[in-house]
Amino acid sequence: MKRPSRTAILHGFFIAFALALVARAAKVQVMEGKQWSARAKRQHFFASSLSAPRGEILDASGNTLVESREMTRVAVALPEVRDTALVIKALARASVDADAVHAAIARRRRWIDLPGLYSTSDLAPISKLNGIHLTPVLQRVYANSSSIQRIIGQLDGQGNAMSGLELSLDTLLRGDSGKVRLARDRDGRALDSPDGWTDEPKPGATVVLTINNTLQEICERQLSIAVDSLHAAGGDIVVMNPHTGDILAMASNRVGKTSFANTAVTEPFEPGSTLKPFVAASLLEKHRATPTDVVNTHNGQLELDGRVINDMHKAASLSLADVIRFSSNIGIVEFGQRLTPSQKYETFRDLGFGMPIGVPLPAEAAGTLREPRQWSKQTSASVLMGYEIAVTPLQLVTAYAAIANGGELLEPHLVKEIRSPEGKVVYSAEPKVVRRVMSFDVSRTVQKMLLAVVQEGTATKADLATFDVAGKSGTARRTSRDEGYTTGNYTASFVGLFPGNDPQYVVLVKLDSPQGAHYAGGDIAAPVTQIVLRAALSARDAALNREDLAASEKDASSKAEKASGGSPVRIVRTDEVRDRPNPASYDPNRNIAPRESEPPTRSYVVDLPAGSRPAPVPVTARAIPDVSRLSLREAVRTLHGAGFRVRLLSAATSGTAPAAGTVAAPGTIVELARPLE
Amino acid sequence: MAKSSVGFRGRTLVALLLGAFVLIALSIVWRRTIGIAEAERLAALDSKRATLESDRARLDAEIRDASSRQSLGTAAERRLGMHVPTDKQVVILPRPRQNETP
Repeated sequence: MKRPSRTAILHGFFIAFALALVARAAKVQVMEGKQWSARAKRQHFFASSLSAPRGEILDASGNTLVESREMTRVAVALPEVRDTALVIKALARASVDADAVHAAIARRRRWIDLPGLYSTSDLAPISKLNGIHLTPVLQRVYANSSSIQRIIGQLDGQGNAMSGLELSLDTLLRGDSGKVRLARDRDGRALDSPDGWTDEPKPGATVVLTINNTLQEICERQLSIAVDSLHAAGGDIVVMNPHTGDILAMASNRVGKTSFANTAVTEPFEPGSTLKPFVAASLLEKHRATPTDVVNTHNGQLELDGRVINDMHKAASLSLADVIRFSSNIGIVEFGQRLTPSQKYETFRDLGFGMPIGVPLPAEAAGTLREPRQWSKQTSASVLMGYEIAVTPLQLVTAYAAIANGGELLEPHLVKEIRSPEGKVVYSAEPKVVRRVMSFDVSRTVQKMLLAVVQEGTATKADLATFDVAGKSGTARRTSRDEGYTTGNYTASFVGLFPGNDPQYVVLVKLDSPQGAHYAGGDIAAPVTQIVLRAALSARDAALNREDLAASEKDASSKAEKASGGSPVRIVRTDEVRDRPNPASYDPNRNIAPRESEPPTRSYVVDLPAGSRPAPVPVTARAIPDVSRLSLREAVRTLHGAGFRVRLLSAATSGTAPAAGTVAAPGTIVELARPLE
Repeated sequence: MAKSSVGFRGRTLVALLLGAFVLIALSIVWRRTIGIAEAERLAALDSKRATLESDRARLDAEIRDASSRQSLGTAAERRLGMHVPTDKQVVILPRPRQNETP
């Protein structure tokens, strides 16, 4: 047998080696291919969670109130850091709190999460340093308004909803998070991969509120001014559209409290005299009284069931309309005796008192309305005066909206619309009638009584020169712990309907524990309402229908003359009897005066409500200017500047009617004719 | 002569195959290198986009705050001596009827 040559052995060895390689490759590729492939994928690719952008919250006009913003959380992995001094210097340059960095590094832990969130752009220069780990975090950016935050609520540091609409609408706002497969480079950094897949996150829905941001800011600012100047413990303002139940503004202020509870919904209060119109409505509805029925008001003092009831405005007798107008406690108690306890209870229950109203806000209070079987001997009279019953500001506004809209109790809305991420409207609020609480005629009669309250009664300081305002003031004693009702501690409130004859707003102003001589609702809450209405009238978008408003506008001089007619009822004011100094009018503008350190500003005349009706403003007739050669815009401006109102007409030639040079009173409508192009 | 020609063709073929293999391998490496570079650029752009979005949200919020009544109202009243007009000073223009619109 011929021995194989060394070359053949070598060839054989190579062939065997090649076959072994092929066999091994076949085993790895064919038999174990899937396992190795999966292992490679695990090493080269990883799945990363994609946070869904949380839905925006907009006001009724589409202005953003809350949106999400990407911020960055910084962590330091100390074992990966090569040059600690360089890292500290770089972090300090990127505005990261230097003390926190030093303290964290001093602890010598392997992984350090630095406190706070930082702008991604600030951290860009340090993103590639060894040992620095940046994690994107979505942060909510809120409108700079504490009251808006009370409505909207907050998220915690991990992005979980804690309060407000953020909590109650969390399932809609948070969206669905997604996943993405990324490639990993040799340094472990993530890279987009063409082999990767992405499960796109689904952003949260957009929630449109009924809140009008302009009106909200007006309310918030005036509330803040009032609380500061009156040294009150806090206050609330709620504005509602009485025809739809839309909550247009909800401002709250609590001095020294950092909580973000929405007190207009969570804190019930004893409403005092603001409840009397509902008693009057019940009496009228059940035909137990007419507005002209008169009761004995005992010259302002009545002893009943072991206690003395006093009236601020003392009179021998008053009609039901005057009981409301002068807020007579004795009068309403006398009239209220015509109702059984059950009827009183049902009146208040039907108005929604004593039960949650159903707005999508957590921790809504139900208020207090006890059943007649739980009433004491005095409760029957107390509830008529707005005591022993507690309502939230929102409940009270909703009940007054029934007077304003013709007798229907509406479900209040805070959410106007919900839109899917694709922009499709998935929910739209519609006015929903809960029940009819009074007939249309009764609501109109009560509305007239409320007009008289502002024109000639306890709340003249809410009145406007060119619009009627209806409303009712309330001044209720407050209780303090272990002491019961205390002297000098009041809730001053006013609920107004604007305009008085065809309301577009129901406005509640409530001030808690105002200090000093001014504490009556008519003295301090009514003027706040007035300034809120003035500011709303002058605002570009404050949820007012100006066309309807123009129809409600009155001539200032005729309104003043009408009001100066006076009341035929002989009223003796408490201050006349007790010789108490007449409280100065609350001046809502007083704390806009410059501080001592600031340069003096020019002073302007501001018409403030006075105790007596303002005298008619003298009007001087003037000639209508010739505007035929001016542009349309300049012509309108010139006519307005001259004090005339303008109506535009199309005509063959330019001109005015009355003609230029005609003497007319300011406020006269001048028809401005212009040819149409 | 014929044997030598066959051997030459075989070596040429192997060389060509090897060359093709090298070229293909190089092109794969090049493609992957370019891919990774593009992925890095894409990641950087994505990060920049997120940063710009974040800055936009911050600037929007700052504009909202600066143009709010709380900021403007205070400045207008204190520095310019302006005030909220009374309702008498507010003129509501009646909307012209359709056929009267210029």
